[in-house]
Amino acid sequence: MIAVIVGTHGKFSEELLRSTSMVYGQLENVAGVTFEPGESVSGLVDKFKAALETLDWSDGAIFLVDLFGGSPYNAASRIAAGYENIDIVSGVNLPMVVDVLVNRSSEHLEGLAQLAISAGRDSMKSFRSIRESQAEEEL
Amino acid sequence: MEISFVRIDDRLIHGQVATVWVKETKCNKIIAVSDEVAADTLRKTLLLQVSPPGIKAYVVTIDKAIEAYNNPKYADFKTLFLFTNPTDVVRVVEGGVPFKSVNVGGMCYKEGKTQITGAVSVDKQDVEAFRKLHEKGIELEIRKVASDPKVNLMSKIQDL
Repeated sequence: MIAVIVGTHGKFSEELLRSTSMVYGQLENVAGVTFEPGESVSGLVDKFKAALETLDWSDGAIFLVDLFGGSPYNAASRIAAGYENIDIVSGVNLPMVVDVLVNRSSEHLEGLAQLAISAGRDSMKSFRSIRESQAEEEL
Repeated sequence: MEISFVRIDDRLIHGQVATVWVKETKCNKIIAVSDEVAADTLRKTLLLQVSPPGIKAYVVTIDKAIEAYNNPKYADFKTLFLFTNPTDVVRVVEGGVPFKSVNVGGMCYKEGKTQITGAVSVDKQDVEAFRKLHEKGIELEIRKVASDPKVNLMSKIQDL
């Protein structure tokens, strides 16, 4: 089972995982890492490494981080650079995390990363524009 | 029509159903069955709006659900049936739709109801309907999400 590490600026990752469990249920092989004001990127690398040690990533690991190029992304990339079976996807949101958990038993790392990106992106919708295009089909 | 899954959830289509249950049950259609909601154009439109990508959703009356189940035109449907309450399930079953198992996911607390788990509250009418389903040999299991262990509903309402 691919391990999932959510890493964000501040406590967003912890709360995001709490929100995830409301929708998904109990979380398995998942860790949240926070990056607090005043911490260094190398400190964050250590926190990520410590999180990885608590997880089973024999099938690979995927980091879901908030900002592309932000410290959580940069720290994760220092780890990912050394392994074939670690990927990082930025722009994390709730639909992305849920979709990754739902699909990770049936996907390889590469597919899972692509799916994470589409899930995150496709979840952005406008009520008004959908309503305008909505056509109802009757049974 | 194949019955993929039957769930009672008074929010019908929402986050858990749209993201997790649809995947778990491998359905390709969602049919929400409720006379009340089918008659409420706004609620119906909003529900249809949140059906997950690639899954066609319908909101229909009880009579329409029975009719659709028996219509050979829908043979390729793998349907996730959603209900707001067990009384409606009884009516569909009595109309000839052979449900084997019903998942009870969410029935919110209102005054006069008894809370039997964190997510499920029942009143007298609900209990009566569940007993009828149980007598017909239908499994009644409580789970909020797919990864929760199944809780036998009858064991929770035997003293009610």
